Amino acid sequence: MAAAGLLEEDLLDAIVMADVRFHGEGYQEGFAEGSHAGITEGKCYGALHGAKVGSEIGCYYGFCSIWKSLLQNCADEKHSKKLKVLDSLLGMIQNFPYEDPTYAKLHEHLDKIRGKFKQLCSLLSVQPDFGFCNKDSELAF
Amino acid sequence: MKDSLTLLSRLSAHPDSRCWFLAWNPTGTLLASCGGDRTIRIWGKEGDTWVCKSVLGEGHQRTVRKVAWSPCGNYLASASFDATTCIWKKKQTQFECVTTLEGHENEVKSVSWAPSGNLLATCSRDKSVWVWEVDEEDEYECVSVLNSHTQDVKHVVWHPNQELLASASYDDTVKLYREEEDDWVCCATLEGHESTVWSLAFDKSGDRLATCSDDKTVRIWRQYKPGNEQGVVCSGSDPNWKCICILSGFHTRTVYDVSWSHLTGSLATACGDDAIRVFEEDTCSDPQQPSFSMTAHMARAHSQDVNCVAWHPKEEGLLASCSDDGEIALWQYQRLE
Repeated sequence: MAAAGLLEEDLLDAIVMADVRFHGEGYQEGFAEGSHAGITEGKCYGALHGAKVGSEIGCYYGFCSIWKSLLQNCADEKHSKKLKVLDSLLGMIQNFPYEDPTYAKLHEHLDKIRGKFKQLCSLLSVQPDFGFCNKDSELAF
Repeated sequence: MKDSLTLLSRLSAHPDSRCWFLAWNPTGTLLASCGGDRTIRIWGKEGDTWVCKSVLGEGHQRTVRKVAWSPCGNYLASASFDATTCIWKKKQTQFECVTTLEGHENEVKSVSWAPSGNLLATCSRDKSVWVWEVDEEDEYECVSVLNSHTQDVKHVVWHPNQELLASASYDDTVKLYREEEDDWVCCATLEGHESTVWSLAFDKSGDRLATCSDDKTVRIWRQYKPGNEQGVVCSGSDPNWKCICILSGFHTRTVYDVSWSHLTGSLATACGDDAIRVFEEDTCSDPQQPSFSMTAHMARAHSQDVNCVAWHPKEEGLLASCSDDGEIALWQYQRLE
């Protein structure tokens, strides 16, 4: 009699609590699916954004390398300042933390590279086509 | 109170256009104005009247936003919305454009010469501040491009006796820069204004800075060096700039410009409510927490926004102002005893 009462109570309990239980399960499933979709989207965004930053810096690197090989062979005193700025920019590019996307000063560092590049263009009297670098590459959603 | 500011003269400087900015040459014999008509005009006094001595019309394709005289008075720099800065050389009474500085991506908003005359700073809507070095042959070389601001940079000005540069921006902050190992770095950010900072002016000593903003206030900042008696904390060897006074409740619209007289210490403001105001520091106020009183208020000084105020560098109380109405006005300020 006591056992039947317990069973009855369990059943009743299951019915009453079904709402809460399904709500919980639904939440768990939804959360898992959402996380998965979020990670996929984040990966896509990260890859896209990272590729943009990489391509921008790569462009600066190529620009510097060519100019360096052009300038370092002429002993002209006039070029010493240009070479100094070139080396400074190359140093900044080499020290950029490519492996660490969570680096807190990433944008600050990137802005310094962009500034140095503009200074170099001004010294070389070259009109850069700013179209290739994404000026608003701050994270935007 | 209104009698303390008297109109001396009114000039139709840039008719059917806006007059954006004024600059006195170091000796105060010439006044340069610039405007939306793409010209720069040079004004000089003949007898009791101010006359236009020359018009510099060929340099720029768009609005000329600001002008600045070199400390020697022989050069004039002009910043324009056409993304360039022109350097004009004075030859007797005429001016010749000797260099055009390019590099900014869009509108150049301001230009300023360092006290030594060897450095020039420009700033732009492209959010950057550029520092240029001038050599003996009048060649200009970019020594740094600073991307510290996150928005349009409105104004740049040098410290009166150090190589310290200050910039004001649409990002509501003021930034200070100094040289460090062949490059320039941002060494302080002054936060406090609640909207665009339009202009700034150092006092004579350079220990204090006045800034004005779209938030209708003027703020006074003071420099505290490391190890100061007042115990204001500094990070590293850089001084800390602390806001020591806020002038609020006086202006009903945006404050576009502030000029701090190096002769008398009077502070003049140009406001979007068409008025000019003058403030004086109260004589017995605490230097660490000074108080300022408004000593002159000229309502309807112009028929539209007042864009600029400039104290004469040699003559006490002589103030020039200019406005969206295209006019320049010259005022005599009488200090109340």
